Amino acid sequence: MTFQAAIHAENLRVHYGKRDILNLPLLSVPVGQMAALLGPNGAGKSTFLRCLLGMEHRMQGDVYVQGKRVGSVGAGGIARLRRGIGYVPQQLPAHSEMPLTVREVVAIGRTGIAGLFGPLRGKDWRIVDEWIARLGLCDVSARGFNRISGGQQRKALIAKAMVQQPGLLLLDEPTANLDLGWRERMIEVIEDLYQSAGLTVVLVCHELEVLPPSCQRVIVLQDGRLLEDGPCADVLRDDLITSLYGAGLSVIRNGRRWAVAPGEAVNA
Amino acid sequence: MLDFAFWAPVFGGGLVAGASGGLLSVYIVGMRIPFIGVCVAHAALAGAVFGSLAGLSGHMLMLPAMGGAMAMSLALGLADPRRVRMDANIVMGLLFSITMGLAFLGFGLFGVLGKNDAEVRSLLWGSPFCSWGDVRLMAAVAVGLALFVIIFAKEMRAILFSRTEAQAAGIRATGVWTGFLILTAAVLTVNFQTVGGLMIYSLISNPAAAAFQLVRGNRNAIALSMLFGAASGFGGFAISAMTDLPAGAVIVLVSSFIVMVAAIIGHFAHKFRRPATDR
Repeated sequence: MTFQAAIHAENLRVHYGKRDILNLPLLSVPVGQMAALLGPNGAGKSTFLRCLLGMEHRMQGDVYVQGKRVGSVGAGGIARLRRGIGYVPQQLPAHSEMPLTVREVVAIGRTGIAGLFGPLRGKDWRIVDEWIARLGLCDVSARGFNRISGGQQRKALIAKAMVQQPGLLLLDEPTANLDLGWRERMIEVIEDLYQSAGLTVVLVCHELEVLPPSCQRVIVLQDGRLLEDGPCADVLRDDLITSLYGAGLSVIRNGRRWAVAPGEAVNA
Repeated sequence: MLDFAFWAPVFGGGLVAGASGGLLSVYIVGMRIPFIGVCVAHAALAGAVFGSLAGLSGHMLMLPAMGGAMAMSLALGLADPRRVRMDANIVMGLLFSITMGLAFLGFGLFGVLGKNDAEVRSLLWGSPFCSWGDVRLMAAVAVGLALFVIIFAKEMRAILFSRTEAQAAGIRATGVWTGFLILTAAVLTVNFQTVGGLMIYSLISNPAAAAFQLVRGNRNAIALSMLFGAASGFGGFAISAMTDLPAGAVIVLVSSFIVMVAAIIGHFAHKFRRPATDR
């Protein structure tokens, strides 16, 4: 069974004991769409991404990613499936003692694709260097990953995901802990990637401010269940934000960008 | 005057044990799991103790020691960090306490059964009575480890960064990591008799700790760590031969001295490097 959708989840359920962490009867993301997963802490957003990667062992139901059913493939099959998914995690990896350079970290994305035996070849390193240049990391490529700023580390992790040449990019709060300047630069990077690489992008976020202009769809989760799903203009309403995060909040729209502020909205 | 016929294989053993320990240390320190050394060493000790109780002696003790170390490595390698939901160091702490308990239970049984435990006790502290045969075995295992690290260099680099991230990128991390741990067990077990179960801990942590102060990049760190390890092993035995001081203790002190010097050099080198910038 194959699907045109980049992601198709049916009767997806993840539970710890009797508690449902995620319960989605049907959720599908078409190829080439940028969709944002929104919701408060504990809504099941990151769990959903782990299901797509086949890294959630308590998963039940049918999940298809780029036409392949997660869970029905063996260890080799799941590794091949993951190679087609660029994943940028919510948390930066724990500070490793090993002084790996930025270039070495980005090259990790080519490791699975290059195969189990033998080194990375010239073509792999060319792709690595291309993405380092494209994301503006040339100046720091020879520096230790631990010695660059948090924003540069996030960029390096996006480059690591992109050197996999994925069809699907999963971004789990890519602007977490970044200052305003870096947040805007990251949004530009995501927008540029989406416009130029023809990817399907699923972006997990808490804040409407980080939705890139090309984001066509917002999927809202709460307590592991689908609360709303549709175009940004339909879903991002004052009443929804109030029900999710509390009273006194208004949605502000400025062109194709969104924000939340306390008090009455004055939209541009 | 030194008796070179006696000391030559000891120095050779020190070089090999140091270099292979230095190579291991890059990954062990890089992943912040130095506790793995005592964990696997005590599993090997427990194996040797029960092997000795069963009547084995001499080189035959290597078999149960290797069995204990391998079992520990497999348990650590196959324990999926997401499934056990425990930090790797906590898992090692649990397994270490079990193997230490088993080893000391075994030591207690020597008294109960009226047997002599001198041979297995020497495994704790090491012994410089090392033959060229021992050195060849240590070298063979070290070459095996080096080949593994060369063949799976890129996978090991990814695992060093983050095992979970490596899996998410479609890298067969569990198999490679388990293979590495099995070779770790083999290296620790064959170096056991010469360096000692406790002293080997310094050889699988200090060389990389020193190298990481001075260089960046996977290859540079491996090369320098192996050099520091070999210098610690060789230097420790050489000083011991000349001064009659206990070899294991001198190895620990030499490797610690290297870390201290590297930290001082690294401290001043960092001052001249560019600081991290937000661009």
